[in-house]
Amino acid sequence: MSKTITKEKVFNHPIGQIWDAITKAEEISTWFLEADFKPEKGYKYTFNSSGENCSPIIGEVLEANPYTLIYTWVVKDTPATTTVTWKLESFKNGTKLYLEHSGIENYSGETAIEMFNSFNGGWDNCINGLTDYLKEEVNAG
Amino acid sequence: MQDNITKLFKAIADPTRREIFHALVLAASSISITQISTQFDMSRQGVTKHIKILNDAGLVKMKEDGRNRFCLANPKPLKEVNKWMQFYAQFWDDSLNSLDNYLNANKNA
Repeated sequence: MSKTITKEKVFNHPIGQIWDAITKAEEISTWFLEADFKPEKGYKYTFNSSGENCSPIIGEVLEANPYTLIYTWVVKDTPATTTVTWKLESFKNGTKLYLEHSGIENYSGETAIEMFNSFNGGWDNCINGLTDYLKEEVNAG
Repeated sequence: MQDNITKLFKAIADPTRREIFHALVLAASSISITQISTQFDMSRQGVTKHIKILNDAGLVKMKEDGRNRFCLANPKPLKEVNKWMQFYAQFWDDSLNSLDNYLNANKNA
């Protein structure tokens, strides 16, 4: 079984706009998770969820050159390190985005128990935070 | 399968349930509802409610012995990598949709 998740999505927006959305802390905080982030190799970033008691995501930027962004992805206080890769390329009048999340097999075995114990709220909660935000945005618009 | 992972995350979303589950894992043997309610200073009904949700998620197995009901931790669902794969697959789908909405909102602004 493949232990890597890959996603591909086409956006009707210029490549630069999407690059900003995934690399600028202010923008990441708006659509994704509250971010302390810099697109600089070696930068140790933190993503906090707006949901209650959600474990922050921490990691290190491994590469950040237009239009490739790679960082490690660790649920805080768990020993498993996974890696997230974003790649953008111009496509027709928009941009094609590739997302890869690898290393998820590292969550197997005893790690799962440790992860469970340090979950601090569960991700269900955290994703709902995201969904709530979207609903608010839609209603506000 | 999606339903299962939703149950799993619902089960672990609550701090009290995590503590109960953790206590069961540490005990490594069956514990009665009565024992749990004593340990957590909680009503039997309260414990039963939490146990039911853990049981639905497959994290706790139940057995009846006379008038007592015993609970046994079953961490196996947490060990299934496949579940994490599904979880993150859904997470990234949601996130990319969120990104799309964000970009569209900006464009119209």
